[in-house]
Amino acid sequence: MSSSTEPDATPAPRAPVMIEEIIAVACMVVLVLLTLINVVIRYFTDASFAATEEVSISLMVVMTVAGACAAAARDRHIRIEYFYETGSAARRKRLALLSAAVTCVFFVVLSALSARVVWDEYHYQETTMALGLPRWWFTVWVPAMCLVLALRAAAVARKVRRGLMLPGTQPAAAGSPLTGGAHAADLDRSQARRDATGDDR
Amino acid sequence: MIGLILFVAFFGLMFLGVPIGVALGVGGMVAIMLENPDTLLWGTLAAPQNFHAGIAKYPLLALPMFVLVGSIFDRSGVARRMVNFAIACTGRGPGMLPVVAILVAMVLGGISGSGPANAAAVGGVMIAAMARAGYPAPFSASVVGAAAATDVLIPPSIAFIVYSVIVPGASVPALFAAGMFPGILAGLALIIPAIWLSRHHGLGTAERDLPRPPFWKSLREASWGLAAPVLILGGMRAGWFTPTEAAVVAVLYGLFVGIVIHRSMGLRDLWDTFREATEISAVIMLVLGLAAIFAYAVSTLGMADPLVEAIRGLGWSSALTLTLLAVLLLIVGMFLDGVSIFLIFLPLLLPLMKLYQWDPVWFGVLMTMLVAIGQFTPPMAVNLLVSCRIAGVRIEQTVPWVGWLVFSFLMATVLVAVFPELALWLPRSLGY
Repeated sequence: MSSSTEPDATPAPRAPVMIEEIIAVACMVVLVLLTLINVVIRYFTDASFAATEEVSISLMVVMTVAGACAAAARDRHIRIEYFYETGSAARRKRLALLSAAVTCVFFVVLSALSARVVWDEYHYQETTMALGLPRWWFTVWVPAMCLVLALRAAAVARKVRRGLMLPGTQPAAAGSPLTGGAHAADLDRSQARRDATGDDR
Repeated sequence: MIGLILFVAFFGLMFLGVPIGVALGVGGMVAIMLENPDTLLWGTLAAPQNFHAGIAKYPLLALPMFVLVGSIFDRSGVARRMVNFAIACTGRGPGMLPVVAILVAMVLGGISGSGPANAAAVGGVMIAAMARAGYPAPFSASVVGAAAATDVLIPPSIAFIVYSVIVPGASVPALFAAGMFPGILAGLALIIPAIWLSRHHGLGTAERDLPRPPFWKSLREASWGLAAPVLILGGMRAGWFTPTEAAVVAVLYGLFVGIVIHRSMGLRDLWDTFREATEISAVIMLVLGLAAIFAYAVSTLGMADPLVEAIRGLGWSSALTLTLLAVLLLIVGMFLDGVSIFLIFLPLLLPLMKLYQWDPVWFGVLMTMLVAIGQFTPPMAVNLLVSCRIAGVRIEQTVPWVGWLVFSFLMATVLVAVFPELALWLPRSLGY
């Protein structure tokens, strides 16, 4: 790898771990294990383990909203960055504020609406199809995490307003993972570690 | 009128840099409220329901699993060993290293399902090697960025999983099989201009006299990585696993290879890998959920039908419509990533597909090829951004090189458009 040709070879600071991230990663791990157990059980017994399907689906939803919170805090959601990159610093700041504000308001509304749906499920004691468990056990995470996401977006807005953070200016720290932002940051970090240990094998 | 507000709100917010998912959600929500002034909460309770339904689909589980596979193999050290083996096969003549980069990206495409992950894995090894051999950095970045775009065609592909979730009548295995030959064709379409450019400009002559790596030794080292696509695709073909299960088996295999065989991953990498895969999946799936709100608004407003009627009224032939659509998708592809394009446009394109009786599998492959071109066409090219970052060049510097690759990839797409059998023969003969 070519860290010497990198214009900014300083390693990106290791981002602090967020609680939402731990929840999301835990969901991912359980999803992997559940699917694996499914394969094994299907091969070695005749028993069907298909009831786990609805658990998997719910975990996937929780993983999405929890992971989206962490991505919002780091400002890594997919967006068109063209007008960020071509604009002046003042315009970038205005656009970043607008983006964070709209995100915050939208997720407050979505949180309230899904809380209403969950309340109905709780009130009418709806149960899940396969396992017969109370449905709200699975769905209550969505309004909760949407609210956290709104708070994360609000925190980003505050940082931008105080000039502590300007999306689109630090490619290593900002930008969606799909546009190379997160990935490049990880790459820098693992490169820095390999340089430090002198191990490229 | 409400339809107009829906699209103005969405496109306006999107161009102002609001996250695409949020722009979709706001547009959809506003349209729902205007449409139902008299119902409880203006009908907005449909929003969380559609959001949930957009994500809570069992076949979609393949998406996070294949993202995880990509993240793991990215760090497992298989790319470097495959490169060694490929050099042992091709030698170091002019234009051979770019060919190595393209071939390795195609094989890795048979493991992971996302272009940027592939660009990072291949670029991390190849760009430095190509610099040593005397290739200019913008050329190397162009080749790696373009090569990684074959990833969305060569199975397993995350784009195909998303397409299959939205489009009825296009199963994941059928799409995976249909992408195989177009993917190889696209790879060939990149290899030819890469060799020609290298020869024509006399690039990459610095290391031509170095000895080749020993063949059998490099084959042995590369075999762990080379076996992965066989395991994934073979296991699915043999009916051992569903796509999701194949991904989970590949996760275990990748961890085994990375931790035990190549020893390139430690505990810390494990956390990084899972964290990264979770974030990428969450970002994609959030857009998926919010796009479901948008799609619900579009369908309750009945907007797709008048649009299709208008196009039918114009009396355009299937070929003309397809060409115009391709131009539109190419332009959009320069600014948006593939999955977002699918989510925004497919609800509108579904009735069009019915009108012209386009095969959904063939159309999926064609659309994916067009989107793949957008992934390495400046200015907003996701793969090129990653490879330029590794090469330490600005994206504008790649323009003189990448143009040839874009043109050639486009020709491959035209071939698939003219001869649908290129895509459809394999899934049919496999019986999907």
